[in-house]
Amino acid sequence: MNILIVEDESRIAKRIERMMRDILASALTSVTHLNTLQEALAFIDKQPLDLVLLDLNLNGEDGFDLLKTAVSGAFHTIVISAYKDQAITAFEYGVLDFVPKPFNQERLEQALSRVVAQEKTETEVRYLAVKKRQRIQLIPVDEVLYIKGAGAYSELFLIDGSKELHDKSLDKLQQLLSGSFERVHKSYLVRMSEVSEIIVSSGSKYMAALKNGAQIPIGRTKYKEIKSKWY
Amino acid sequence: MNPKLRTCFLFVCSLLLALSCASDKAVFERSATKYRIGDQEGWAAKELDQRSWHRRPSFVPDGKIFWSRTKVKILQAPEAMEPYGVRMEIYGEYEVFWDGELIGRNGNPGQEAELPPKGELWTTFTIPLHLTDVGEHVLALRLSNYYYPDHIGVYELEVDYYDDLMTDRLIQNAYMHVFAGAFLVASIYCLFLFLGNKKEYLLLIFSISSFFFFGLTMTHFVRTTLPIHYSLHVLRLEVITGLLFGISFLIPLYFSMQFPFPRRKLFVGLYAVILLFMFSSKHNAFDYTILKMTAGLCVFSLGITIFAVYKRAKGALLVLLTLLLCIFIGYTVSFNLALFIGFSLILFNMLYLLSVRVKEQRLAYETSLVQSTRLKLELVKKNIQPHFLMNTLTSLMDWVEEAPDKGVLFIEALAREFDLINQMEDQTLIPISQEIALCRTHLEIMKYRKEIDYSWEEEAIDPEQKVPPAIFHTLLENGITHSMPREDNSIRFRLTYESDSNHHCYTFLTMAAGVKQGKSREEGTGLKYIKARLTESYDAKWDLSSEPTPEGWRNVIKIYY
Repeated sequence: MNILIVEDESRIAKRIERMMRDILASALTSVTHLNTLQEALAFIDKQPLDLVLLDLNLNGEDGFDLLKTAVSGAFHTIVISAYKDQAITAFEYGVLDFVPKPFNQERLEQALSRVVAQEKTETEVRYLAVKKRQRIQLIPVDEVLYIKGAGAYSELFLIDGSKELHDKSLDKLQQLLSGSFERVHKSYLVRMSEVSEIIVSSGSKYMAALKNGAQIPIGRTKYKEIKSKWY
Repeated sequence: MNPKLRTCFLFVCSLLLALSCASDKAVFERSATKYRIGDQEGWAAKELDQRSWHRRPSFVPDGKIFWSRTKVKILQAPEAMEPYGVRMEIYGEYEVFWDGELIGRNGNPGQEAELPPKGELWTTFTIPLHLTDVGEHVLALRLSNYYYPDHIGVYELEVDYYDDLMTDRLIQNAYMHVFAGAFLVASIYCLFLFLGNKKEYLLLIFSISSFFFFGLTMTHFVRTTLPIHYSLHVLRLEVITGLLFGISFLIPLYFSMQFPFPRRKLFVGLYAVILLFMFSSKHNAFDYTILKMTAGLCVFSLGITIFAVYKRAKGALLVLLTLLLCIFIGYTVSFNLALFIGFSLILFNMLYLLSVRVKEQRLAYETSLVQSTRLKLELVKKNIQPHFLMNTLTSLMDWVEEAPDKGVLFIEALAREFDLINQMEDQTLIPISQEIALCRTHLEIMKYRKEIDYSWEEEAIDPEQKVPPAIFHTLLENGITHSMPREDNSIRFRLTYESDSNHHCYTFLTMAAGVKQGKSREEGTGLKYIKARLTESYDAKWDLSSEPTPEGWRNVIKIYY
C-alpha cells in the first residue's frame, strides 16, 4: 500500500507514519510525508497512491482545495484534523474517514480497516469530485442516476443525460455511496429511488427500469437480495 | 433631517409667522413731542401756542426744569367706568398733566440734586374719565433730568385701558419667566453633567450660554419685577449688552466645536477680536452694539454650518435651517422679539446636538465594551482554539509515549504559556518583558511540535515599556504558521525597540525561508486582533506595517505619543 501523509506538524506526521508501519507492517509499500499543499498536489499528480492521510489546516491555508483534488483521485482519503466541525463537510466531499486530533493508534487502525475491509461510510456523500481539464468539478450526488464501472474508472450517468468519468473504481464509489445506491450488477451502481420497476424477461434476465426509461441489468445473484431489500 | 424634526421645525415656523401678524388695534394716535426749557404753570394747558417749542430735545444740564408737550388723539372713547391710563418710559423725574389737569407725579422734578433718586423709569397713570373723549388731548410733562441730561425724550407712550396697561406686562413677564426658567434648569442640568465629565466642554458652553440667556431674559423683563430709577437704567443696558456679548461668542464657539473645521482656533480667535471690537466701539449706542454683535454671531455661525453641511456633518442641516429661519424672523418681527425667538431656537438646536452627541457617545461606549470583551475572549481563545490545542495535545501524546522525560518538559512549557495568558487576560497593557516571556514559551512549545529550531532574539528592549497583550505573540504565531524553515531547519525571530521624540517603534522580524503572504482567514484575524488592541489602547495614534523582506517578513508597530 502506498500512503501519503500531508501534515505540517512534524511530530504528528512522524507519529502517523510510525503507526502506519505498526498497523500495516508488510502490507505497507511506501509512506511519504509532505509539509505543504503545493508539494502534495504535485505528488498526487505523479505518484500512484492507495491512501492519502490529510490535515485540513496546513500553514494557515485552507486544505479543502487539496481535499477536492484528493477525493477526485483513484485512492481513498482520510482526513486527520483538529477541527471536528469540518468532519461533516469532509464526509460530504467523499472522504472515507475523519480522524479527529488528538488520536491514538486504535483510532488509526479503525480508519485503516475501512480501507482494507471496504467498510461503508455512514455519512452521506453529497458531492463527487471529478477531474476536468485543469480543474476539479463537484457533481452533486443527487444528480447521479447510475454509475457504470469501466476498469479502474467509473462512468457517472447524470440526470441531465450527460456522462462524467471518475477516477475511483466502482468498488471504492460503492463504499462511499452505500446509502442510496445499490450494486445491482458487477458493473453497475444504481440510485434505487430512480428505479420504477424490475422487469423479468425470458431466460431469467432481470432488468431495472429507471424513471427516465434507461434499463440497467441486474446480476442473477443480486436479484434476490435486491428484491428482498427494496420490494 | 428625520420627519419628526421636520414637522417640529415647520410647526415652529408657522407659529412664528402667525405671531408676527397678530397685533391689537390702537385706541390713540400720538403726534411728535415738543420741548421747551423753563417752567411756567400755563404750559400744562390744553390750548397753547406751541410755535416757540422745539421738536428736538436739547441738552438740559444740572437737573433744570423743562417741559414737554405731546398731542394725543383718542380714536375711541373708553367704556363707562373703565378709565384709560397712560404708560411712559422717560428718563427723568416729572409731573404729568393731561389736558392741563395734574394726573400724577414721578419723583421730585427740579429737586433731584438735593433729594435722593425717586420714582421709576416705567410709569403708568390713570386718565380721568371725563378727559378721554374722542378727539385731541395734550399730555404735558414738567420734567427734570439730572443724571442723563443727554437722554431727553419720551421713549414710550401708550394709551389704553388702565387695567390692561397694568396687567399685560405682568402676563408677558409671567410667560417670559417660565421661559427663562426652562433655560435656567437646562443650564444647571448641563453644568452638573459637565461636572460629572469634565472633558465635555460642549456641555459647559451650553450651560453658560443658557445661563446667559436666562440672565438676558430676566434683565430685559425686569420692568415689572423691580422698580428701577432712570439713573440705574444704563446699568441694565450694560448687563444686557454684556450678556449678549457672551452669548454671541459662545454660540459660534459651540458650533465650531460641534462641527470642527481646519484652523478652527485661528478663526475663532479672529471672531473673538472682531466681536470685542463691535462690543467696544460706540459701546453706549446699546441697541446698535447689540445689533452688530447679533449680526456677527449669525454670519460666523452660518459660515461654520454651511461648511459642516458641505462636509455632511450630522445635524448641520437642521442648524443651518434654524439660522436661516432666525435671520428671516429678524426681518419680520421687532428686534427684541426676534432676539428672544432666535436665541431660544438656536439654544434648542444646541440642546438637540448635545442629545445627538450623548447618544453617539453611549453607542461608542457600548461598542467599546463589546470590543474589549471580544478582545479578551480572543486572547483567552488563543490557547483553546482547536488548531493550537489539538495539535499540541497530539504532539504531547507522542512525546509522552516515546520520550516521557521530554514530554514532562513540554507539559511544563504548556503550563507556563497558559499561566502567562491567564495573567494578562484582564489587562489592556502589559510590560513588554511579560510579552517576551510569552513569546519565548510559545516557541518552546512549537519546538516540540514542529521540531524546527526556533530562536528568539531581542534588541534594545526597554523592560519598562508597556504593550497590549499578545500582539507580538500573534505576530509570532503568524510567523510560525506562514513560514518554512531555512536549510539548517531554523527560523529566527527578532524584536527590536527604538524610540524618538515622537514615537516608540517595535520591529518584529521573521527570518525564514519561503514566507508566504497569507490571504487566509487566520492571518486576517491575527492582524485584526493586533489592530483592535492598538486602537483600544492608543486610539488612532499607532501605525502597523507588514511586508516581506529578502530574509523573510517584517512587521513594524509604531506608537505615537
